[in-house]
Amino acid sequence: MANLSPINLLGTGIRSPREPTFYRALREIVLNRDTVTAAAIWVLLTIIGELSFLQIDMFGDAATKQGDFIDDAFILLMVLAIPIFTLVITMILYVVFKFRAKGDEIEDAAPTRTHTKWVGFWLAWTTILCLVVIVHPGYTGILELRATNAEEPDLTVNVTGRRWQWIYEYEGRDVSLFTKDEMLVLPNHSLIRFNVTAEDQDVIHSFWIPAFRMKIDAVPGLTTYFDVETTETGHFNDDVNFRVQCAELCGNDHSLMFTRVEVVEPAEFEQWIADQAA
Amino acid sequence: MAVFMPIVKGLIGAAIGFAIGGGISQLITSFTKEPATEPMIVLGYVFAVIGWLMGVGMWKVWGRQWFGKSTNNDPTGGWERYLRFNIDHKVIGIQYITSLVVVFLLAGVLAILIRVELMDAGQNIFTKNTYNTTMSLHGIMMIAVAVAAVMGGFSNFVLPLIIGAEDVAFPRVNALSFWIVPPVVVLLLLSPLFGGFDTGWTAYPPLATQTPIGGLLFELAFLTFGISSILGGMNFIATIVTQRAPGMTWGRLPIFAWSVLAASVISLTATQWVAYGLLMIIFERVFNMVFFSPPGGNALLYEHVFWFYSHPAVYIMILPAFGAELEIISHFARKPLFAYRWVVRAFALIVFLSFIVWAHHLFTSGMGENLHGPFMILTELISIPTGVIFLSALGTLWRSKLRLKVPLLFALGVVFNFSIGGLTGIFLADVATDIALQDTYFVVAHFHYTIMGGEIFAIFAAGYYWFPKITGRMYNETLGRIHFGLMFLFYNITFLAMFVPGTVGMNRRVAEYPPEFEFMNLVTSIAAFALGIAFLPWMYNMLNSWIRGPKAPDNPWDAKTLEWQTSSPPPLENFDEFPTVTGDPYGYGDESVIHAKFPNSTDAISAEGD
Repeated sequence: MANLSPINLLGTGIRSPREPTFYRALREIVLNRDTVTAAAIWVLLTIIGELSFLQIDMFGDAATKQGDFIDDAFILLMVLAIPIFTLVITMILYVVFKFRAKGDEIEDAAPTRTHTKWVGFWLAWTTILCLVVIVHPGYTGILELRATNAEEPDLTVNVTGRRWQWIYEYEGRDVSLFTKDEMLVLPNHSLIRFNVTAEDQDVIHSFWIPAFRMKIDAVPGLTTYFDVETTETGHFNDDVNFRVQCAELCGNDHSLMFTRVEVVEPAEFEQWIADQAA
Repeated sequence: MAVFMPIVKGLIGAAIGFAIGGGISQLITSFTKEPATEPMIVLGYVFAVIGWLMGVGMWKVWGRQWFGKSTNNDPTGGWERYLRFNIDHKVIGIQYITSLVVVFLLAGVLAILIRVELMDAGQNIFTKNTYNTTMSLHGIMMIAVAVAAVMGGFSNFVLPLIIGAEDVAFPRVNALSFWIVPPVVVLLLLSPLFGGFDTGWTAYPPLATQTPIGGLLFELAFLTFGISSILGGMNFIATIVTQRAPGMTWGRLPIFAWSVLAASVISLTATQWVAYGLLMIIFERVFNMVFFSPPGGNALLYEHVFWFYSHPAVYIMILPAFGAELEIISHFARKPLFAYRWVVRAFALIVFLSFIVWAHHLFTSGMGENLHGPFMILTELISIPTGVIFLSALGTLWRSKLRLKVPLLFALGVVFNFSIGGLTGIFLADVATDIALQDTYFVVAHFHYTIMGGEIFAIFAAGYYWFPKITGRMYNETLGRIHFGLMFLFYNITFLAMFVPGTVGMNRRVAEYPPEFEFMNLVTSIAAFALGIAFLPWMYNMLNSWIRGPKAPDNPWDAKTLEWQTSSPPPLENFDEFPTVTGDPYGYGDESVIHAKFPNSTDAISAEGD
């Protein structure tokens, strides 16, 4: 304790044999010139990194509640990842400039083989961070995406994949879409469930609406599903992510296996359904 | 021309084998009146491989013994010794490395063609089918390079040397594991002529069972390659367990040997699963059996079987890369490897976890939702042992005396690139973000950061590091630096730019895409072309230095591991006199740690360079 004067903080003090181990370890591995300088660079790079990342609008607004959660999760993971990345950059730059051998001379460094406390500290922070992301956005994300499973949806759309197009049936509405050129119209502010499959003799597809951030495979012989709660209106012509895109390689026309999507207000949607059924 | 005789005999053997196998198949199917092309190809191929192996020298070296005749397995000779069934691990290592460099360059050309196609949103140079085949071929060829270049190539050359052994435990099995690789390459290159395969290297059924004959050739190639991997893994485990020099206790084993052991455990056990999966697809095609295709089959079953191998497979690639990276960092930092025992523990934990995380590839597949949580948790736990690898690398570098040579530059490149690859992996382990990012270019950029940025950079580090030992000559340092600078820069531009379209809604494996994503794709393409050019100084450097580079000293790096304590290149038996290991190989700055003693030499290794 006595040796933690400002001068001794930079590791120039004389080590007292009776100094408590914790403070000795602290001074040896943390409070010395190299560590403090590198830490300062790391903090600076991290601030720059975080501030510039938060300036960027990565992907616009998602059109569903689930999509908003996913976007927030992505941003949170980036915010957590940036300090780790800047730590690696700092360390590499610092050792290359500071600990580079002069000329071609070969000289051995002091043989530090391990440092129990430092290893323990490293294991502790990696484990804690890992547990944090497992809980949130990991576990909370799983709950969020399943939250509506027990509810009765406002609209159920049965989707079937067939090389290389999608077929839609609006359940209970007597409306089906069979051709590639038709627009998949969906109501805003609604809980929509997509039941997804592929024809029996067909192959695996994946039903993906980028604007909703959700996808699920269309597997022959299996019915899969996902729920979304729409929160924004939008049209393929304004935002290319309002499309159903096949996301699982399915042969020749895989890249062209898409349907245009439009999300409209519920009244407009009912009108559209009535027009279709007529 | 005599030097090509074994190859010619092998080709003749293959032709005879194909005729026999195909003939038997035609005979059998003539009774059943079923369409007989695919059975003929499969049976013909099996016999052709046997004919090829026997012709290329396996008969002379090994086969004659089965019939009580004398064998000739003399591994010596001029450069013709590389062109036949040879049991010297150093020859096999060089055979692997040179063949895989060719495969790497071919697959690289395919990558350039893919980037030409993707420069704009429409169709350019490919039809949709040829694009899919090209992309699939690029994938599987690079997978082959990634699995075998470090395990088959550098492990083969270095491992027996670094543990002080005369050779691997089963030299003839070792030769066998190399010589079944050429049929793999031939099949893959033939496949576009037979309709190609538009399934990607993952080859999910039912699509995979419906492809033209090119798809069957792909399945056979993958299966054959799997057998090579299994044999190699078995051989390395046996070698490390039984062939270590006296005194080479587990605690003194160089970290590269530990990493090869860890990867070999996966290689031996996990590969068998994908082999069964591929065999079942072949049975579906050839015998009309039903495993994976509905009705009757379950398409999801294959995805589980496939990823039960293919996820551990990425650790077959990356673990030896970590081993080489840490080895190089310690020797060039002139400092003991930091937290050595923790790295070994981390390897063991990664091997264990690698087997129980496969279903994170299946979050959007429609598998039971109750599996999402456990597989997410297990996957994210891998970040802890991986963090230990970083701790060891950074801890070794801290307060070292860095010698900034080309191998170290590449090793530092691995640390940088893999931090991006590892961190972006968290986004794909998280169920919510993975559902958005799965099957997009984010995934493509992520695995190129782990496999290319991590492993391929480590292979280049290893290539420069062991070049003097393998060839007996020094490479040109300046050209090496130019290669590193260009490759590091353009590699990062290419694949950082690739994250962007993935994040904003561009899916992978498409020849055409919405024009909104054009700009970032153009950036990626241009950087990729520059990345291609970055390999030219490397190729010139390697070829030129191998032919007329200055003679390398036995230990140009003053490293303490055993492969540097013999001549460059090493003699047939590896060491003129075999060492006794007396300490660990990282005793830099510590006179009391002596790695090994040679019986007739007064110099202990730690005295080198003093």
